[in-house]
Amino acid sequence: MITFDNVTKVYQKDWVALQDISFFIDKGEFVFINGTTGAGKSTLLKMIYKDEEPTKGTVKVLDQNLRILKKKNIPKLRRKIGVIFQDFKLLQDRTLDENVAFALEVTDTPPRDMRKQMLEILTYLRLSHKKFSFPYQLSGGEQQKVAIARALVRDPYILLADEPTGNLDEKSSQEIIDVLLDINYKGTTVLMATHNLKLVKRVKKRMLRIEDGKLASDK
Amino acid sequence: MALRIGIREGIRTITRNASLFLLSLLVTSISLFLLSLFAFVTVNLYHFLNILDEKIEIIAFLEENADYKALRSNIIKINGVREVIYVSSDQALKDLQTELQDTEEVLSVFEANPLPASLRIKLHSKFRNALGLEEISSKVMLLRGIRETIYGGELVDQLKRITSVITGFDIALLLIIIFSVVFVIFQTIKLTIFARATEIDIMKLVGASHSFIAIPFTFEGIVQGTLGGLIAFILTVITDRIAISFLSNIYFPQAYFFLGSMVCGLIFGTLGSSIALRKFLK
Repeated sequence: MITFDNVTKVYQKDWVALQDISFFIDKGEFVFINGTTGAGKSTLLKMIYKDEEPTKGTVKVLDQNLRILKKKNIPKLRRKIGVIFQDFKLLQDRTLDENVAFALEVTDTPPRDMRKQMLEILTYLRLSHKKFSFPYQLSGGEQQKVAIARALVRDPYILLADEPTGNLDEKSSQEIIDVLLDINYKGTTVLMATHNLKLVKRVKKRMLRIEDGKLASDK
Repeated sequence: MALRIGIREGIRTITRNASLFLLSLLVTSISLFLLSLFAFVTVNLYHFLNILDEKIEIIAFLEENADYKALRSNIIKINGVREVIYVSSDQALKDLQTELQDTEEVLSVFEANPLPASLRIKLHSKFRNALGLEEISSKVMLLRGIRETIYGGELVDQLKRITSVITGFDIALLLIIIFSVVFVIFQTIKLTIFARATEIDIMKLVGASHSFIAIPFTFEGIVQGTLGGLIAFILTVITDRIAISFLSNIYFPQAYFFLGSMVCGLIFGTLGSSIALRKFLK
């Protein structure tokens, strides 16, 4: 499903963010990308949805070599991948409902299907009672759930989570982890970048550890 | 569908970010008004210079009992002459009386009309200079029945030199103003788009195509540009009304100004948003 083959990323000629990274992630896996801040976790995730290009090496996602993927086809790739972030990236001037619907509107989903998909995802994440609330009226955990709803509403093959618990307290973090695990249980491949080693050890899933841009371990 | 959603998104962003939109609209309107105002001044300057240029002519005074009809038909054949108008001595007196309304007593000292009949010789624009005037005047002087000719001579060339300096300065200023206005409008639109960088990032993230992202912003640019153009035009009309109350002979081709303001607004608004967006869509 995701293949990194000797991937190197160099910024500004001499700053090496990632060096000779190779791994394979199969369909339905849950994988942690662990490492300290600045280790290269976010860069690695960005390469999967082609927000960054490798300087060297090949990235293959959903059987597509991203190096030869045309620019006009990037939106199609991204519609198959859900992404969530530490800072949620929600539109503050739109309600929860509108934030989630946004992801469906860009793909010209018919209104009837849109309503059905919205209802399903908001019920699943127990957010339907707050669908007319604005992001600033929600707690951090709830905002992250909205971001997850937006990422999942189109039923993606892969979910990328970049430090999704970084801004949350322990209880909310656990709630988000539980949601991600459940999503993975239902068949979605999940990649979660985190610096929190304690959390990784508790969940007991495959972990790729990045240290100074290199793959230090895969276990 | 994408166009419908795009326009709806555009309307939504305008209404939700009303203060930012109004601020940007204000800057666009003022910038376009400055351009329109300068065009207004320029058009009137050229209009005035054109009137002055039209006034350059040769006056040929006739001897008594001269055959003005024969002279007129001979003069019109001279290369560079556009029109010859006969002014009888009675007409000349009437004209003088009209010009000197309050000084009738000056004319009353003459028992008979002292003014001679004359021919006003209008020239083609190419000949409205010292050389052309001199050349035509000397040819006219050769004709029997012409007593004397008068024309501006060197004064005309001085006027021409001043005119070309003024027009050169005007064109340079116009270029500077166009550049400044375009720069200000582009920067303002860029700032409003930068303020919504997160929104564009999210659109890209959820797989929106470039055209889907561009439509709302382009729509906003078009609305902002045309509204700005309309406001600039209204302000120019007001300026014209004020100018009329102080000066006569104001030239204001409203239809051209309306069209110009709207087209400039539309082009600047659309281009401004497209150029600013390009940075995000790389």
